[in-house]
Formats: sequence, structure tokens, C-alpha cells
Amino acid sequence: MERNEILEKVQDVFREELELDDLVLADETTADDVEEWDSLSHVQLVVALEKAFGIKFTSREILSWDNIGDLINCIGKKL
Amino acid sequence: MVVNSLAFLWFFLVVLVVYYLCQPKKLVQNIFLLICSYWFYAQVDIKMTGLLAILTLLFWLIGHGIGKAIDQKQERRASLLTTLSVIVGIGALFYFKYLNFFIGSFIAAANAIGLHLSWTAAHIVVPIGLSFFTFKLMSYTLDIYHGKIERERNIFDFANFIAFFPTILSGPIDRPKPFFKQLKQSRLFNPNNLMTGFRRVLWGMFMKMCIADRLDLYISAVWNNFEHHSATSILFASLLYPFQMYADFSGYSEMAIGVALMLGFKVAENFKRPFFTINIAQYWSRWHMSLTSWLTDYVFMPLNIKLRDWGTNGTIAAIMLNMTFIGMWHGADWTFFLFGIYHGLWYIPLMVSGQFFKKTKIKVNEYGWPTMPFVIKMIVNYLVVTFGLMLFHSNNISEFWAVLCRIPEAWNDGLFFDMPTLVNAAICSVALIYVDIQEEWFTKKKPYLPRWAERWRWELTIAVEIVAILLFGIFDSNQFIYFQF
Repeated sequence: MERNEILEKVQDVFREELELDDLVLADETTADDVEEWDSLSHVQLVVALEKAFGIKFTSREILSWDNIGDLINCIGKKL
Repeated sequence: MVVNSLAFLWFFLVVLVVYYLCQPKKLVQNIFLLICSYWFYAQVDIKMTGLLAILTLLFWLIGHGIGKAIDQKQERRASLLTTLSVIVGIGALFYFKYLNFFIGSFIAAANAIGLHLSWTAAHIVVPIGLSFFTFKLMSYTLDIYHGKIERERNIFDFANFIAFFPTILSGPIDRPKPFFKQLKQSRLFNPNNLMTGFRRVLWGMFMKMCIADRLDLYISAVWNNFEHHSATSILFASLLYPFQMYADFSGYSEMAIGVALMLGFKVAENFKRPFFTINIAQYWSRWHMSLTSWLTDYVFMPLNIKLRDWGTNGTIAAIMLNMTFIGMWHGADWTFFLFGIYHGLWYIPLMVSGQFFKKTKIKVNEYGWPTMPFVIKMIVNYLVVTFGLMLFHSNNISEFWAVLCRIPEAWNDGLFFDMPTLVNAAICSVALIYVDIQEEWFTKKKPYLPRWAERWRWELTIAVEIVAILLFGIFDSNQFIYFQF
């Protein structure tokens, strides 16, 4: 899967989980940029992403992401 | 040496002058700062200064090891070293704070089932600020392991982060990343930082000396002799207690943040008008924020991630554990344990109803004031917090129970009203509530000031604050409530 495709799919998951239809994600987007993305919704997002991509993240991977770019790199390595 | 004392004032004036004479050489500034921090800590707790230095060195070495293991892709080694650092941090906390409590509780339980064990509590003195600096130490190694920061190669910078004197006694609990970033730049003399910092120190002094210490006179008079007081007095004192705690700890935090800012450091915020919230989750996101965000990142998040396949039940389990940690962090007693459980239980209806996951914002009317249903919810939330703090204030469970039993017994007696104390406290509290309301709902609307006053706004505010502290402040002061933790 191309990096752009991953980003698009991640964006769809975020839009659905956070109920934000206009949300646009970029590599440098962080939780500080999206009010609804907090420590709680983060775990819901992780579960939804694992389901959407059919993968499983380790705790250390999840805790090491600083922005969307890190998340996409992590997914890319698993596909 | 408390922050609002004359001794601290002299110490800080000398520090400030020499510190800015060292600019722009950041290395000299940092070494000077480290000497001052250790000197300050030695004034407060000379016996434990060695422990602070040893723990700092140990964590720096472990952090170095973790960083190296990550560079060499030795995942297992990095993980083992990180676990070791957590064991050392928790071990230090456990030994100094909880050992007597756990052994005592175990012996009591054994005796209750008929075993006859006896035991004398070991004399262990808890180092001042231990709960705060061990959390900083652990966040350093955990952040390296999770790839949030690089290991800090300069031990003096690391020691500066741990021992930073404005925050070592009672926080705010700062994080390594933003602090190291600031240490790497020289702090140049900036009148704006100096003025803003000074104002925050004064505001903190006002909260502490004019409100918290004044309210303490009344609350302690009632609580310490509750068996002679009426139900109305006990309930009234209990209702005032959350506000006293807020004025005390937020006041302290303002002073610490202000002092740090005068030295050119922006440290973590600790309070954001916690009583303008409509449920317990919102309250904890605004009360002692540097502690709650630490626990969210290092306890709640990893637990919630581990238990994520359990859905809401996993989140409930993570919250309950997290809140128990928050309770027990405050001290070794069953009252603190129950305090944590009590707050954790309030999260369950929020989670089951889904409110926890939604961000309900307080609605305002056309004049900018919160609407009546939200005001009622805020009042109810304040009552929920009050009950929890009654537990927190009690020396042990039996005292808490005795206070509760006293309420129906003494229902018909009148209110003990210490007029001068309460009137003084009320005048100052109105000022605090006014400022909080302005900052919460009316930030865009500047209060009208005549032109001359607008021009001298800063100077006038500072003058008014100084006069208010001199007029209403209590100078034979109490310790800060949070120093004991």
C-alpha cells in the first residue's frame, strides 16, 4: 500500500471515530491540533486502526508516536 | 524555607542578580542554577540532599544505558533497564512513604484473624519533595525508552531538571523534553518575563496568605474539635475546604511558576479553574494537572492500551487503578486509598452513559454567563468533590466516620461564625472568584478602565496586590498543604 493510501485510510478512520467529517490529516498533525483527539479517543482510534488495517500494534509503538507521520510509518512497516 | 518567606526573598534576589550577570553564557547560568538548587534543597532538607544526588546520578546512568541499548538495537536490554529504573523509583517511594503503612496494615490484618504479631514502626523520615522528584526521574527513563527524548549526555543539565529549586518541593511536575530544550538556550534578561513572573508570585501569595491561611483558621477550628461543633458548622467548614485547598495549592503553584518564569523558564501549569466543571472527569483535567497528566501518560495510557480489547471494561479498570494511584500518591493511609476509589467510582456512570467520551462544553447565554442547568451541574460537582475532600482531610478512617456520625447527632445546634475571619476571607475570595470568572468566560471582554489607569495597568495591579496582601494576609504562616506529600 502506498503511503498516500495509508494516510487516506487513516484519515477516514479518524473522521468516523471522532465524528469530524472535515478533518484533514497531514504528517505533522499532532493530538494538540485536534481537540477531540485526547488520551481516551486515542485508544479508540488505535482499536479502529488495528481493525481497519488488520494489524496489531505493540504498546511501545503506540506510546512512541508523536504525530500522524510516525503512525503512518508504523502502519507501513506492518503491511 | 517556604516560598513566601523573607529568607526566600533574600535568597531569590541574590540568585536573580547573579543569574542575569552570568548571561549570555548558558553553561555558567546552568552551573550557577544547579548550585542554587542544591543549596536551596540543603536548607530545607540537608540530610536527604545526598539521596537526591545519588538518585540523580543513578537515573542518569540508567538513562545512558537505555539510550545506548536503543542505539545498538538491543530491545531486551533497553526494556530491562527501563524496568529497573521504575523499580528504583517506586522502590524509593515505597521505602520512604509506604513501608510502615503496609507492614502495619499487614500486622493489623493478621491480628484480626487471631495471629498475635507485634511490630514497632521503623523511624523513616520522608525526604521533602520525594513524590515530585521521583516522578521526574521516572519520566526521564520512560521517555527515552518510548523514543520521546534522546538520553541527556550532560549530567549537570539532567541534575538541573531534577533539582530545579522553584518546583522541587511541590511541583509542578515538569517533563524532561520542554525543560531540556529551555536549558540548551541562554536565558536573557527579559523585563516581560520578570514582570509576568512577579505578578504570578504576588497573585499566588494573595491566594495563599489572604484566602487559604485565613480559611484555615476557621476550618481547622471546626475540624480539629468537631465533637464540640454543630452539624451546620461541620458542613459549612467542609464546603469551604475545597476552596481552601484550591487557594493553597494553586497559590503555591502560581508562586513556583512565577519564580521559574523570572528565571526564564516556562514550567507546566497546575490548575485551570477546576470548579467550573460539570463532572469529575473534567474536574481532574483541571486540578493538579501536572500530576494527572503524568499519571495519564505513564499509568492510565499504557494500562488502557494493554486492556484495549476489553472495551469499556478495560477503560474502567484502567481508570480505577489510575485513581487509586492518585489517591495513594498523597500519602500512606486508607483515607487516601478510599479517596482514590471514591473518585474512580464517579467515572463509571460517565463511561457507561458515554459522557466520558464526549466533550460536553458548558453552554453560555447571550450575556456570556453559563446557563442555569450547567450552573446546577457545577454546584453538584462541587458537592461531589467536597465529600471526597472530607475523606482527604480526615487523619484516619475512624475520624472520618466520627465526623459523619456527628452530623445527624448535632443537627439542631447553630452555626459557629467567626466573623472577622470569615469576612476577611470572603472579601478576598470574591476577588479570586471574579478573576476566575473573567478568565473562564470573559477573556475577550476587557473591563472598562479610564485611560490613565489603562496606561499604568501593570503597576497598579502590582500595587493593589501588595496592599491587599499587607492588609489581609496572614504572616505567621502555615506550611503549604502539599509540602507533606
